[in-house]
Amino acid sequence: MIKIGLITDSYHLEKKSIQFLKYANTKADVSIYLEEDYMIDFSNYNFDEDIFFVKAKGDLVLSLVKLIEKKTTIPVINSSRSISLAFNRFLNSIVLRKAGIQVPNFSLNPVGQSPPFNEYIIKNIIDKENYVFNPQIQKKEGYLRVVDIRAIDESSGNYPKYTHLYFQDFIKSKWEYKVYLIGEDIFYFRQLPVLINPDKMKSRIKIEKIPELTEIAYNATEALGLKLSSMDFLKSKDGKFFLTDINSSPNFNYIKNGPKIIGDYLIKQAKK
Amino acid sequence: MNIGILSKKKGKFIKEIQKCFESSGHRAKIFTLNDLIVNEMLLNKDFYILKSKNLFYLYAGYFLEANMIPVIPNTNISYVHKDRVESHFSMENLGLLCPKIFMGTLKTLKSQLTESSFPLISKHIFGSGSKGVKVYNSFQDFDTLNENYLYLENFIKGTHYLAYFIENEICICEKIPLANEHQATKLIESDKEIEKYLIKWKEKYNLLFGHLDLVRETNTNKLYVVDAGTFPEFSNWKCDTDPASKICDLIIKKYLEKRK
Repeated sequence: MIKIGLITDSYHLEKKSIQFLKYANTKADVSIYLEEDYMIDFSNYNFDEDIFFVKAKGDLVLSLVKLIEKKTTIPVINSSRSISLAFNRFLNSIVLRKAGIQVPNFSLNPVGQSPPFNEYIIKNIIDKENYVFNPQIQKKEGYLRVVDIRAIDESSGNYPKYTHLYFQDFIKSKWEYKVYLIGEDIFYFRQLPVLINPDKMKSRIKIEKIPELTEIAYNATEALGLKLSSMDFLKSKDGKFFLTDINSSPNFNYIKNGPKIIGDYLIKQAKK
Repeated sequence: MNIGILSKKKGKFIKEIQKCFESSGHRAKIFTLNDLIVNEMLLNKDFYILKSKNLFYLYAGYFLEANMIPVIPNTNISYVHKDRVESHFSMENLGLLCPKIFMGTLKTLKSQLTESSFPLISKHIFGSGSKGVKVYNSFQDFDTLNENYLYLENFIKGTHYLAYFIENEICICEKIPLANEHQATKLIESDKEIEKYLIKWKEKYNLLFGHLDLVRETNTNKLYVVDAGTFPEFSNWKCDTDPASKICDLIIKKYLEKRK
């Protein structure tokens, strides 16, 4: 039987992985490496898994993944590099643009200094914690400005975590396109932008393949090294798709048979 | 030439470097966190010097390199030496001896470490130098902590060294354990093994300058690397060469090579 190691934290285990585990346990021998329980001893380890699946983004999780990557040949999905790139918004904007993928203009500015575009969205610097997007919409001098309260919280107070804010040029779009990638398989959805309806699932519908998004999704995940991902796209007035967010740890429960598709993919990718 | 210096502080050493460039006819601007804006506005310099390894300076470095503006030292090398886990693997790959490391939540460490693991030293996972380090002699020392998790190394008891190099020149000093780079040190004549460690590291990453913190264990006489820095302040440089002007020369030379 294939051995799968699930590297996760309590939040992802309880809230996101139950269905996956239910399926995977029928097909494989699954061991769980829980961030809250596992001590990493960098000189004393023994991994006999055929594949690792990473479902968290904390420092301990990433350090364990680095140890596995450096010291074994066991495949890890996703890799530590790709996870780091996905949650570092500024870094993934650089890498994606370099790979020729259309991303909105971006700028990293000290708090209090405006970016070089009129309409923008301020997002959190590192998208790593288990909290949800909390937008505040403002209209200033006729321009739309969206602020993620998490970003403001992290850069204010007596001991701010960050001195800078990440600004992304605001793309007006009727729909938000959500694309899930599992290996070579892509699943396409459309929903009202979260700013219009915060309950994203209410308006979400499955849509037919959009060849343009397929190409971008493959190129983007290849540039970052992601094997599993979800991506958010907005379509500008002139019909161009902009990749606005890329995630290394999406909730695959939103896809029909998602946990099964993931489990089968991992088994296929396991060390031969 | 137009040179940008990415440094969170306008300290003595970085000002000396700025002066050296200016006295050679170049223009050099220091970007502290107050005026560091990372977007196309940064692309108007010939090259940048990455002095600080703060997250936003690394972002700036990666942004510049993606836009074909040279950064010295290279951004990824600076990142590898900022992340202690990456740095540990890089030293180990070179065959250099490093202390054992452990990571976990406080609860996990308390339940899985043994008394024989002590003494231990905690360090920030992203950082270098002595800032934020703490020694633990027993489990009781964990009791006052608020951290979610710890990065721990075995604390090596022995003689501590600060070893610098600038190009082919090496300066090795004995230092007080856990002292920062600026505290008084004693120059030692030579230590072939430390020199070998420095040269190996320098050659692997093609470094122009840098420093290693090392400890020679009293009981075993084994030499351990406990920290590495790609852009020290050279506060304890005791050779005749002026570090600031030498570093400026090396950086200009490197830039001209890259431009070719």
